[in-house]
Amino acid sequence: MRDLLGYLLKRAAWMVLTLWAVYTVSFVLMRSVPGNPFSGERSVPPAIERQLKARYNLDAPPLQQYWDYLVGVVTRLDLGWSTRLEDYSVNQVIAEGFPVSATLAIFALVFAILLGVTAGIISAVYRRSTADHVLMFAAVLGIAIPNFVLASLAILLFVFMIQIFPAGGWGTLQQIALPAFCLGLPVAAYIARLSRTGMLEMLTKDHVRTAYAKGLPKRTVILRHVVPGAMLPVVSYLGPAVARVLTGSLVLEKIFALPGMGSHFINAATQRDYTLAMGMVLTYTVLLFVMNTLVDLTYAIIDPRVKLR
Amino acid sequence: MNTEANRETLERILVESRNIHGVSLWQDAWNRLRRNPAAMISLTCLVLLAVLAILTPLLPLQSPIDKDLNERRFLPPNLGTVVMGGRPGLKFADGTLTGELDRFNAEIADLAIQLQSTSDPQQRQALAAGIAARIDIEHPFNQMWNELGPVSWWMCQTRVALFGNYAIPSLFGTDKLGRDLLARVFWGARVSLIVGIVATLVSLIIGVSWGAIAGYFGGMIDAAMMRIVDMLYSIPFIFVVIFLVTFLGEDSVKKKLDSIGIDQITIFYMVIGAIYWLTMSRVVRGQVLSLRSEQFIESARTVGASPMRIVFRHLVPNVLGVVIVYLTLTIPSVMLFEAFLSFLGLGVSPPDVSWGLLLNDGVEALSIIKVFWWVVVFPGGALAATLFALNFLGDGIRDALDPRMKNRD
Amino acid sequence: MKDSQPLLQVNDLQVSFKTDESQVRAVRGVSFDVHPGETVGLVGESGSGKSVTNLAMMGLVPKPPGRIDGGRVMYDGKDLLTLNERQMQSIRGRRIAMIFQDPMTALNPLMTVGQQLTEMTRLHLGLNKREANRKAAEMLELVGLSGAEKRLRDYPHQFSGGMRQRVMIAMALSCEPDLLIADEPTTALDVTIQAQILDLLRDLQQRRGTSIIMITHDLGVVAEVCQRVLVMYAGRVVEQADVQSLFAAPKHPYTLGLLNSLPRFDQSSHTLEAIPGQPPDLGNLPAGCSFRPRCPWAVDACANEDPRLVTMDQDRQVACLVAQETANV
Repeated sequence: MRDLLGYLLKRAAWMVLTLWAVYTVSFVLMRSVPGNPFSGERSVPPAIERQLKARYNLDAPPLQQYWDYLVGVVTRLDLGWSTRLEDYSVNQVIAEGFPVSATLAIFALVFAILLGVTAGIISAVYRRSTADHVLMFAAVLGIAIPNFVLASLAILLFVFMIQIFPAGGWGTLQQIALPAFCLGLPVAAYIARLSRTGMLEMLTKDHVRTAYAKGLPKRTVILRHVVPGAMLPVVSYLGPAVARVLTGSLVLEKIFALPGMGSHFINAATQRDYTLAMGMVLTYTVLLFVMNTLVDLTYAIIDPRVKLR
Repeated sequence: MNTEANRETLERILVESRNIHGVSLWQDAWNRLRRNPAAMISLTCLVLLAVLAILTPLLPLQSPIDKDLNERRFLPPNLGTVVMGGRPGLKFADGTLTGELDRFNAEIADLAIQLQSTSDPQQRQALAAGIAARIDIEHPFNQMWNELGPVSWWMCQTRVALFGNYAIPSLFGTDKLGRDLLARVFWGARVSLIVGIVATLVSLIIGVSWGAIAGYFGGMIDAAMMRIVDMLYSIPFIFVVIFLVTFLGEDSVKKKLDSIGIDQITIFYMVIGAIYWLTMSRVVRGQVLSLRSEQFIESARTVGASPMRIVFRHLVPNVLGVVIVYLTLTIPSVMLFEAFLSFLGLGVSPPDVSWGLLLNDGVEALSIIKVFWWVVVFPGGALAATLFALNFLGDGIRDALDPRMKNRD
Repeated sequence: MKDSQPLLQVNDLQVSFKTDESQVRAVRGVSFDVHPGETVGLVGESGSGKSVTNLAMMGLVPKPPGRIDGGRVMYDGKDLLTLNERQMQSIRGRRIAMIFQDPMTALNPLMTVGQQLTEMTRLHLGLNKREANRKAAEMLELVGLSGAEKRLRDYPHQFSGGMRQRVMIAMALSCEPDLLIADEPTTALDVTIQAQILDLLRDLQQRRGTSIIMITHDLGVVAEVCQRVLVMYAGRVVEQADVQSLFAAPKHPYTLGLLNSLPRFDQSSHTLEAIPGQPPDLGNLPAGCSFRPRCPWAVDACANEDPRLVTMDQDRQVACLVAQETANV
């Protein structure tokens, strides 16, 4: 228990350090863009520009800006004002987008794990069978086809040709299913390959032979002595998988026109809404850190030899 | 036991050991790889693809950028004859590329004669600049191809000399602007492959040196370096990259970069390479670390092998295996990433072509009313086939280098 | 002892493996008996087929690439090779148990020792969780692990090599099997620990009357615990004898070679004599006797005829033309 607490504290310290580094780098990048966010396409009356500058704290010296924003984030979790979405604070945008993105990501991940692990186990247990070949071919296909192509084809097929899914919108399970499926499929493909490899490697282990020699039925041997060990590489992959799902959601939210964080981020990036973009990068960093920590914990639970550092 | 018998035994053992032929790791791996049909087919396809991509300007393809909005929009795959420079809108002499080239060259030749006949240095200079500018802007090639480098320029000239105005018909159909898809897939292959390979090389250089240094020195240095890697793992790089790409795409920044000769594709390589080195460095470090304590290194040291010899004969070959396998995995993910960025409008920008860009165009053209399947299927097929081949080759190499893991296939 | 009904009869067992290049015949017609309460040693170089023989008996040869080409393994009136998977499961662990060479890898690193011990008794003896735990603790005490109750919650990596092998033995004996197959149980251990483990096995056998098949390449182990020895070479039994007569007067040149390559303390000037050459490639065996290329006694006839195992005096069997010739003369 003490170990666990120490570990969590250490992770939290690292997270703060990482966030600080990310913030500093993005701040420097942001401020080194010549001009300010409002100079450009149309000329703004000087009075209004002054007002805007005051609002975004752009009239202060750079070091002061750096410090003020940092204080705002640390003390009030205030990520500032969006420069393009008028009257929206970054916190508001994130609060609106986060539930959508999180739901999508969770559905996609659960789907990916269930499908991937099942396919991997079947493939390994019935190695060199037709099922194995078909599944692994599908897995390579899933890895080799870009997300957006898959999504577009899926829309064409399931929304327009065979009308089993609604064209858009958000909220019902039916509306979530298709984007979550498209988002999860490449991850499922990767997990399927990982778990198959893990299974095959575990199957050659001595202790699996011991388990058979004990007279355990094949089913028990597979489920109790092979699968847990084979899942270790899958568990380590979950950290990158989360990152991948978040990345993929950028594309899928755009294609399915979902009001999530991803579409806001793309807009923020393409429209030079630097405060919003930075706020989101910071949020994603926290998210990823938390997920990586959870993954490490899970790994340590499965494998008693691992010590949490 | 008499000594005679002993000597005989010894000699016999010596003869025996001489008869055992050592097979080098690579020879052995190659033999195993050759027996793997999937890997060999993949290897052949990839080599073929690379050769075709390099030779693209030499092939009798249509122009990848010449638009024909009037007559050639969304033509399905067909065998209709196409003449280079035949589009009326181009207003080429004789309606052919060669005709226009002749006319243009004649004009330039006229100018050159003029240049020779003038003696005033100032006028000469102005004329020479004029000729250069005309070649730069008005050369017919510029309407058929986009920003050719010197080698590609030469290859295009050779192509015209070889094939004249012949061009392969639009076997892959045409896109929404009437451009030939076959030509675009070929030209796109160049960009996609180069992005894939160069970015991977960048990640290789960073990753291998980082991992090797950490693994070789160990101790505090190792701990600190790996901590940094851990930290970087938790940064959502995709977002940082998007942030960076937009930042670097800012007009003023772009101008500054252009002035020092860096274009967007170069930034691409560097940015992507900078993300993908993390795993590589971990893998290499792990290898180096375990090899350092491995007994055969120990034994090499005890028989008096020099450190250089140890590094090049023992460490490098062993690490190289892992690195090659990892390379075949990184190239596909980089290519996918390029497609991903192109989709978001942050990748290669027109008139450059890449497979990602083509796919994005294709996806946009997908609609229920009329299925222009070819605009998705051909670029998508090319990308998927390449990634397939890389995957199978990677698996094959992994099995070949590590026979113990053969069952992983 | 020899008069009793054999517990296990192996008859002309043949096993082969398919590789990329060829069909490797790993076991080529092995026959032997094991009587109740007896310890039989199975000796040979690595690759001589001793482990495969036993895995095949238990139906644990991975198929493919392995294949049983023939023979019978009679146990309790049934041919084990013809049993289906379910029937085999009720034999494995319950009636015939195995312990393996490397205790580091033979235990599941992700499960506690207690889980691994109780798994078997709950399955075969139908014990409930508490009974199984008690039984497991009892077994650990029996193999000499102190504080057994607490140790049940530990994972294998928390035990030393010797202790893990004790756990393996406890596990193998927990259903009170008739026969224990010990596949090089001491090879991976320190010499002092080896002696302890052998003592433990001998002690347990005397107390429980379990038969043991001891697979080893170490003649010292054989001398210590076995009553009867089978010497295997290239997938065949080449000599069978009781321990005393084998050590006193080996009949097969290969056995002789093995004995000569042992260090001896009674002859100070004795030079160790290695058997020349390499074990044969099982995918590509020489014609005639497979030991011929390395044999100091080889005569022309050895190239033509593959010698069968022939009974000599007092239950002793040898597969060597020269040895049989000499005996007849």
